[in-house]
Amino acid sequence: MADRHPRLKELKFTLYRIFRNPSALIGFCLLLMFGIIAVAAPYIAPPKYPRSPYVMPHKGFSPTPRPPSRQNLMGTTSGQYDIFYGVVWGTRTAFKIGFVVVGIAALVGITLGLVAGYFGSLADEIIMRAVDVAFAVPLLVLTMAIIVAFGRGLENVMFALALVEWRVYVRVMRSGILALRDMDYVQAAKVMGVSHVRIMLRHLLPNGIYPVLVIATMDIGSMVITAAFMSFLGLGAPKGYADWGQMVALARNYIIGPPGDPLKYWYTIAFPGLCIILFVLAWNLIGDALRDAFDPKIRRG
Amino acid sequence: MLVFVLLGVSVLIFAILMTFSPERRAMTYVETPQQVKDIPQIIKQHGLDDPAHVQYFRWLKQISTGNWGWSFVAADTVWNAFWRYLPITLELNLFTTPLIIIIGIWLGTQAGIHKDTWLDHLTRIFAIIGWSLPTFLFALIMLMLFYGYFPLFPPGIIGDKVQMFILENPDKFHSYTGMYTIDGLLNGRLDITLDALRHLAMPVFTQVVVVVALLMRVMRSSMIEEISKEYVITARAKGADNKTIYFRHARKNALIPVVTVAGWLVAFSMEGSVSVEIIFNRRGIGWWLAQSAIALDIPVLMGMCLFFGLVYVVTNLVIDILYAAIDPRIRLT
Amino acid sequence: MPKLIETRDLVTNFYTYEGVVKALNKVGLVIERGTTFGLVGESGCGKSVTARSMMRVVQEPGRIEGGQVLFYPGEDGQEAVELLSQSEAYMQSLRGDQISMIFQEPNAALNPIMTIGDQVAESFLFHRKKEMCAKVLEDLKTADLPWPGLKKLLEFFYRRAAADPGDRLCCWASRTPILKRWQQRLFREARRRSVEIIAALDIANADQVVDRYPHNLSGGMKQRILIAMALACEPLLLIADEATSNLDVTIQAQILDLLRKLKKKSISSILLITHDLGVVAETCDRVGVMYAGSVCEVARVGELFRNPLHPYTRALLDAVPKFSVSGQLKSVEGNVPNLVDPPSGCRFHPRCPLRRKICAQRLPELALAGPDHLVACHLAGGRSGSAQVWGGR
Repeated sequence: MADRHPRLKELKFTLYRIFRNPSALIGFCLLLMFGIIAVAAPYIAPPKYPRSPYVMPHKGFSPTPRPPSRQNLMGTTSGQYDIFYGVVWGTRTAFKIGFVVVGIAALVGITLGLVAGYFGSLADEIIMRAVDVAFAVPLLVLTMAIIVAFGRGLENVMFALALVEWRVYVRVMRSGILALRDMDYVQAAKVMGVSHVRIMLRHLLPNGIYPVLVIATMDIGSMVITAAFMSFLGLGAPKGYADWGQMVALARNYIIGPPGDPLKYWYTIAFPGLCIILFVLAWNLIGDALRDAFDPKIRRG
Repeated sequence: MLVFVLLGVSVLIFAILMTFSPERRAMTYVETPQQVKDIPQIIKQHGLDDPAHVQYFRWLKQISTGNWGWSFVAADTVWNAFWRYLPITLELNLFTTPLIIIIGIWLGTQAGIHKDTWLDHLTRIFAIIGWSLPTFLFALIMLMLFYGYFPLFPPGIIGDKVQMFILENPDKFHSYTGMYTIDGLLNGRLDITLDALRHLAMPVFTQVVVVVALLMRVMRSSMIEEISKEYVITARAKGADNKTIYFRHARKNALIPVVTVAGWLVAFSMEGSVSVEIIFNRRGIGWWLAQSAIALDIPVLMGMCLFFGLVYVVTNLVIDILYAAIDPRIRLT
Repeated sequence: MPKLIETRDLVTNFYTYEGVVKALNKVGLVIERGTTFGLVGESGCGKSVTARSMMRVVQEPGRIEGGQVLFYPGEDGQEAVELLSQSEAYMQSLRGDQISMIFQEPNAALNPIMTIGDQVAESFLFHRKKEMCAKVLEDLKTADLPWPGLKKLLEFFYRRAAADPGDRLCCWASRTPILKRWQQRLFREARRRSVEIIAALDIANADQVVDRYPHNLSGGMKQRILIAMALACEPLLLIADEATSNLDVTIQAQILDLLRKLKKKSISSILLITHDLGVVAETCDRVGVMYAGSVCEVARVGELFRNPLHPYTRALLDAVPKFSVSGQLKSVEGNVPNLVDPPSGCRFHPRCPLRRKICAQRLPELALAGPDHLVACHLAGGRSGSAQVWGGR
């Protein structure tokens, strides 16, 4: 019986469509790998200070990085921080950033988008004009301005990003709802006296959520990029925090080695850099596959 | 509408501004280094303890007369520093924007026409990777390879020798625009132009690769959609060959939705200049903005918010005009 | 009457994510010279796909899988050209010139951002370039030009283009800035012809209409423009794909009237695709009835209406509202089958009131059941007057 439910059937079909796509499979595998690393971080790289596991352990303060050895699997970066430890725990940081920022932004955005799209008129006008204004200033600039206002730190970066990014979800959600609002089944529900909240949650949200899901998936990647850049600039995670962007910042002065051996310190940037790229790639691949799977135009030719 | 957006942005900035203490806000009214010492006096003088709406209109007046405060990162007023840094960023975007648009539209068209062929898959892979590359990381890698490993393209704006020459002979090199590539030509010094181009190559490349991916994908899907439209069959039934169908009929229609995205991307690439300028050490708007954020230089950030708001408004205006130019259904009113 | 175009066992499939949609199942039709052939059936039964397959303009994800399309360009209908095996270039020279098509959605079928004139002129530029170049050459002799060198240059270009429309030098020149202006006289000539053909279709102010965009015109006007485009090169076969279905009844009548007039005057045959039996009865000479991708009955108009042999045809005719009969309107029982997984044997058998065992097993072939009357039904196979099998009405 459950198998017959149209929504479940659609979901099954969607999943089938997603996994037929090889790039989605790659993305999923990558994500699975990162997920396992994040969950198993305490076992893969036991923290030296169990109370603050996100602080990278370091032996000595020498600014010159050391190449990979048995002790430091991926070498040490400037300040003798262990790169391997940073990469492993940085996975957790990345997931944290992605989920928290996109979670908050999407929640706020979806709610406002639903309200604006469903009720229209004044609510719509007020919300959408606010979104218009919010859209006028680019992500990076507005984020920086908010960080400057509230101070540095990873939490503030996340807060600032969420404060900027909700605008995207409002627009996407609203346009989806507008298309659904005049559908017969919604009108029928209205005529039957179903409450507004129930119509929004039961009829509009499940049908209008797909484009939001696609955007959210891809957004996790770009939020991680932006947060990494903030950390790179020194606005986000403090020095020594297990964050990929921060590690790239540590590597910055060593990307070009001494004359004659220009790539001597390759490991300082290669490992955290690769992690960022692969993490973002994984989300983008999945997002791309989701878009294809949800797009009714491509879905069934 | 656009005026409304600008006003909204100013309210937004002011709201952020109001979260600061009056002492910090006083910095936005400072115009010379000496004044920094007289902060309490400035607070009193400018009424920074007044109610918010009174302060807002006063601030708006201040801004509109060009008094944007003092930037200690630039050691100058924000207004003056802005005009000093702008040409460097403008020069970068003068090269990236046409490249992004031309390459993006061309590759997207080709991928759309040859859907599901190796070319399409290749551009798809390129697009996803390009989009997943953080600009600052990609720039660092470029620097590592093409400055560290192959010392071909150095960072900075212009080589030391040229810099020395300009400093020593201020009479022989007149700065018309502040952009070395153009000034070199205007002064008849091709070597300076070439040197500036050499320094521009990598920043431009980095930015184009990262931004072009998105435009390409949008153009592709737009092209595919147009090719499946009914009027394409009409043209085919008239006896049109593929070239006519793709380039005379479909492409122009496909461009209509792309114009919006292209406009956004051009505005976005202004923003992307931040990472590129930081890594390649080009002291433009982006560099200044990042340095100001690091140093908590509030007036600069507020000014930049307003500037980018303006860029947004102008971009939208250009998009509207382009729309009307391409699509006869839309009339400018 | 000699044949003009014929399809044999035409099979077209659409490859969608849900599976292969078997849109055409061995369609065989013959259209004779100088006649109007009506193709009727429910929507989605493959009428349009048949027409598009004939012209080889089936769009992705559709593909013509098998069969033949034979085209008889000669007057006597002897020599046949098999269109499916021809090169794309040959098809391009044929489309719009010998066979042309009018589409059902006048709003969608016109390029929204090209002027009407440009779109109509395209037909001439594709197929009448040689002729038009010769005409321009003729005009150049008497033309007044600012300096003699220009005249020489233009004559040079037009002579080359008149000799060979695909001339390399001319093509190169048409892409080069400034030089490409040599074509202006050609375009002017194409425009003149466009105005002429549009005016011939009873459109007032044709010389102004050519500079308008599709969104400036009404639906009926757009449909006329589409007809003008199709008729531009006086084709041997005009396919009207639901050309009147989306129009108001009055305009529909006007367009049909126009088609009838035009047929008398110039074009030799029309393939009229419609789901409106009234239109068929009024305009066609012969009718083919299609159901779920196959042809079930072909007959002369009068014969089909008088003596329908296929149960589907009968059901269709019963579903037409009549003044003489009161009571509830009959409809065809059941639903259109899913063509991903069509019924075995005769595709109509699940809905057929008279189905036998054999109907589910074997696909009936079109067979002669009377003078010029073909039917694909096991129950009517080869026997005339078999209407009695069903006990009449």
